[in-house]
Amino acid sequence: MAIELQKEVVELLQDSETVKVLATVDEKGFPHAVIKQSFELGEDGNLVHLELFESSRSNKNLVRGIWHNRKVSVTLKGKGDLSYQIKGRPIKSIIAGPVFNEHYLRVRERLGDVGLAAVWIIEPEEVINESFSARLAEEQAAQVFCGHLDRIAQLSGARPETRQ
Amino acid sequence: MPVALNSRFAEELTLTEVTAKHPEVPRLICLKIDVQRRGVHYTERALSTVDETLHQLRGAYIFGSRDASLSPLPESLLLRDGTSILVDPTPLDQNPYIVDLVDGRLALTDGGDFLEEVELWQKPAYYDQTTSSGIPMKYVVTARPQRLNIFQSSFCHYWANDKGCLFCDIVTHQTQQRAELRIPIRLNPKDVSETIGEALKEPGRFTGICLTAGTDIRGEELFDQEVEYYIEILQAVGENFRTRKFPSQLIGSAFNERQLARLYDQTGLTSFTTDLEVLNERLFAWICPGKAEKVGYQEWKNRLIRSVDIFGRGNVGTGIVGGVELATPYGFTDEEEALRSTLEEAEDLARHGVTTVYIVWVPRPGSFFRSQRNASLEYYVRLAWGLHSLRVKYNLAVAFDDYRRCGNHPDTDLSRLL
Repeated sequence: MAIELQKEVVELLQDSETVKVLATVDEKGFPHAVIKQSFELGEDGNLVHLELFESSRSNKNLVRGIWHNRKVSVTLKGKGDLSYQIKGRPIKSIIAGPVFNEHYLRVRERLGDVGLAAVWIIEPEEVINESFSARLAEEQAAQVFCGHLDRIAQLSGARPETRQ
Repeated sequence: MPVALNSRFAEELTLTEVTAKHPEVPRLICLKIDVQRRGVHYTERALSTVDETLHQLRGAYIFGSRDASLSPLPESLLLRDGTSILVDPTPLDQNPYIVDLVDGRLALTDGGDFLEEVELWQKPAYYDQTTSSGIPMKYVVTARPQRLNIFQSSFCHYWANDKGCLFCDIVTHQTQQRAELRIPIRLNPKDVSETIGEALKEPGRFTGICLTAGTDIRGEELFDQEVEYYIEILQAVGENFRTRKFPSQLIGSAFNERQLARLYDQTGLTSFTTDLEVLNERLFAWICPGKAEKVGYQEWKNRLIRSVDIFGRGNVGTGIVGGVELATPYGFTDEEEALRSTLEEAEDLARHGVTTVYIVWVPRPGSFFRSQRNASLEYYVRLAWGLHSLRVKYNLAVAFDDYRRCGNHPDTDLSRLL
């Protein structure tokens, strides 16, 4: 089921300084994760990925994804510890037509003499806040047994520390 | 006389059953195969969305259509994964899929059920242009989403002696095209060069060029005149490129090594295909009498294999009319046997670096086989997977004839995974 991306995620996606990693799965179930800076937000709220290489493993895995209803993930890493992971499904591959042509021209304007294999549309289904501070707070709040005891030990002669 | 297919379809596995039985083959490809098998009918609502200023409508083509007409209907459908479905409008009594408007979007439906959203091919910019000799460019070079097609001559000399392939309607269709659309039977190289030049002005639109025509057996050696004409046209195409070679496919007769070497050395051609049509020597003699008489099955195979030395592995292919091996009365009577036999021959070719591709046989009204029926959906799905598996096993690329360059072979649609 498609979800709407929250504002902070959209801003991260649209920031050219954000590192973007696409993770897909091959025919044997092995993950394949690569940096792909070409993600943007589509008008319909879906992710738009411009795949430059027809022969790339990512492209083949995206084809597997759309054919066999498999998920992919996009991880965004911004400044500081801000990071999100978006899980979704490839739902469309545009290889010709006005949308393709528009992106083809823009990509070549930006990167020079390169090609464009496909414009992939990925429908987001889940967003996970992977920022360190958010994950730390989440774990500490919900997972009593995940911390080492020395972190909460009352050592003799020492004043009790305030657990963060 | 239209072929009544309803009773046949009642016995066979449905699309849902086939996709469940063969999960390795994507549902979208199974759907494409079935749409090609059964054809389509466009509702009036669907046709109301067709815009001839935007969409590519049927035009010049080497073969005829299921409805034996040249009406200006969409040339093809496009599925959401980028797969094309080249398909003819089909009379309703042949149980075609229905293309309708569902919630404002074009959709493939069957029995009232929504199956998939579809789009129509966009018309390329050059289609509205005319050559300096006054011929509409769309009649000189036709387009696929990413390929330019040059049907340089639409007469086949095997037909002159009543030895045309029994599934083929090339001459019937050529007569109709000439009469109704005034499409030239033989192209002028200058018109071709102009049209290609105009087409290339549209950035990002095309990734390959394909040439094909009917057979010309004339010349000092068999096919010499056909080769000469291809060289002329290819050199005219080459005028538009700054590289010596350009991504291209020639689907021609079984040329000998001298002829192939000329094509490779004197033009920018990068791949070669010559169609065996049916991978069985006995059936080849019956279904392709002209080809059998002039070259023969074994020599055709030999020439294919020798082509690999000139064009290289992954650049030579042969096309078959999938399912014609089951034509009555002399074809296989059992699909299992037909599939086994066909894949065995295809593997022999693959071993030598020749890849086999298929089209879904559609018995056309203008062909000798007009009253025949094509194979089951499951047969075609298994054939697609079988031919794809051979390419995987023998590490054979088929970029020159895949979903992007051609779009008419369900098996090479799978080559996106190679």
